[in-house]
Amino acid sequence: MNALAWRIRRLPAPLRSGRVLIGGGIVLAVTVIAIFAPWLAPNDPQEQDLFGNIMPPAWDPLGDPKYPFGTDNLGRCILSQLIYGARVAMVVAVVASTGAMVIGVTLAHIAGYFGGWIDGLITRLVDLWMSFPPVVLSLILMLGLGVGVSNVILAIILVDWTRFCRVVRSDVLVVRQRDYISAAQLLGFGHFRTLRREVLPSVMPLIITLMALEMGIAVVVEAILSFVGLSVEADVSAWGVMVADARQYMYQSVWGLILPIAAITVTVMGFNLLGDGLRRTLDPRLRQERHAQA
Amino acid sequence: MLRLILAILLRRLIVVIPMLLVVSVMIFVILRLLPVDPIAMIISPTALPHEVEATRAFHGLDKPIPVQYLIWIGNVFSGDFGNAISFRVSVLNLVGETLPATIELALFALFFAVIIGFGAGLYMFHVRGTVRETVTDVFSIAMLSFPDFLWALILILLVGVQWAILPFTGRYGPEFIAPDITGFIFLDAIITADGPLLWSALGHIILPALALALAFAPLIMRVLKSSLTEVMTEDYITLARLRGISEWRILLRHALKNGVLPTLTLVGVQFGFLFGGTLLVEIIFAYPGLGNLMVRAIRNTDLPVIQMAALTYCVVVLASNTVVDVLYVVLNPKLRKE
Repeated sequence: MNALAWRIRRLPAPLRSGRVLIGGGIVLAVTVIAIFAPWLAPNDPQEQDLFGNIMPPAWDPLGDPKYPFGTDNLGRCILSQLIYGARVAMVVAVVASTGAMVIGVTLAHIAGYFGGWIDGLITRLVDLWMSFPPVVLSLILMLGLGVGVSNVILAIILVDWTRFCRVVRSDVLVVRQRDYISAAQLLGFGHFRTLRREVLPSVMPLIITLMALEMGIAVVVEAILSFVGLSVEADVSAWGVMVADARQYMYQSVWGLILPIAAITVTVMGFNLLGDGLRRTLDPRLRQERHAQA
Repeated sequence: MLRLILAILLRRLIVVIPMLLVVSVMIFVILRLLPVDPIAMIISPTALPHEVEATRAFHGLDKPIPVQYLIWIGNVFSGDFGNAISFRVSVLNLVGETLPATIELALFALFFAVIIGFGAGLYMFHVRGTVRETVTDVFSIAMLSFPDFLWALILILLVGVQWAILPFTGRYGPEFIAPDITGFIFLDAIITADGPLLWSALGHIILPALALALAFAPLIMRVLKSSLTEVMTEDYITLARLRGISEWRILLRHALKNGVLPTLTLVGVQFGFLFGGTLLVEIIFAYPGLGNLMVRAIRNTDLPVIQMAALTYCVVVLASNTVVDVLYVVLNPKLRKE
């Protein structure tokens, strides 16, 4: 027992946090489901069984074991759609938040490090973007871009880079006042090298935390756009589309509605728990507070 | 005080107007990239090519995009916001009819969110340092994972369909004819002293407002709790304790006053998210507001309506930011002196 406790204490800080473990576990599980969707899904998610539509889950006396979670209004297997829906959700989450992160963090570094007019320009740009409610901006963008997974990703990147830019910029502003930045410059580091070797590593914990939270946001935005019918192509299974379809027949069966809602919220919760846990363990200020409390 | 508020308003106006111009250019350009032809939606499929061209010219869609923009913005400045292509009425009328409904919804949602958020935040602060704090904290993260439109569906399923205690479509019961005085149904009902209508409108707004509030409240709760925790370490709190003032009184009279400021900033910054959230919630509750108008316009590719609705969202967000700026100065004595 002692050996186990000792081992746990030797783990890196984030891995000792319950939130990171649970959140990370959920995210890992959804990722595995998304990757192995073709092997895990019992049926083809788009195959219609028009004689067996709106069937209850298999545990109901009227259910069919062929469809563990029942079928939707077109007789498509709900479980298989959920499993394939994880693919869209995870691809959008990972690619969109990476893209938003790259743009936001790059601009944040330029603004915070150089200051002056370029900082003013980028800050104004962020303010401008933030005056759009994100839902409205992404709807307009999707309208201009047309449906498709890659366009959803592009829309989320174009809407959400500001979240990174705003927060990371203020951290860069603080970091660049530190002595080791001046030391690096005295040693003859160029701007790019100073940014990459000195500034970026010190704001990295913040970026990792924001990434986890942004992935959750991306999953929600994708669901919202699917719900309005402005996201994926018609033959792709997505959770938001399932919710929108199930709303039409919710008086006959609630499972088609509840299960994709559960899939969305559990996934988002995974990302949120992971982000919150990382924030608590990686942010030196919070860590010190907790040490002081202890 | 009044002079200070006016100065803030003036300063905001100088920033906001160029911002709105840039926003309008952005909306205009994105919408002109559309791969669809708005004319195709209104003209008969058997129309001859020259008829199509005539309609296009009538709506000004044959000119280059910068020229179209200048014509539009010129009209806007002279008070003409153009006509909807598919609805064939003035865009200004459409927005004017729907905006009050959306503002009402957002205000009710904000009211609910503040009550729930403050209550939960004070509770979490009260139980700080115990296991119950961790439980509340994890619970609040779980709540944060429910976006407003999913709350809307869950509330409809539970309260509307399962228990059937509250209505969930529209703005008031079908048996009423709304008096059209201000456009704000609650105000109109009070002016005309129409009790049943007021009651019906109240019943109809609870679920959509609650859906928005439940998604927003955890944010308020978490920020309030953390700013209260920070304030409680200040010297004047220790002094108040030494003077023998009770813990509750310290919290309510001393800590809350200062702890509320970061919460207010958060509400201001996030109000845009709440206001944007009304869009989907309105669709789900068939609530006749700006969001419903915008989505209908999107389905009909009605460009003048889409761009005006989008611009209206931005105007409301910028206006609410200004209100928060003013409130911030009013509530913060440190800023008042400057």
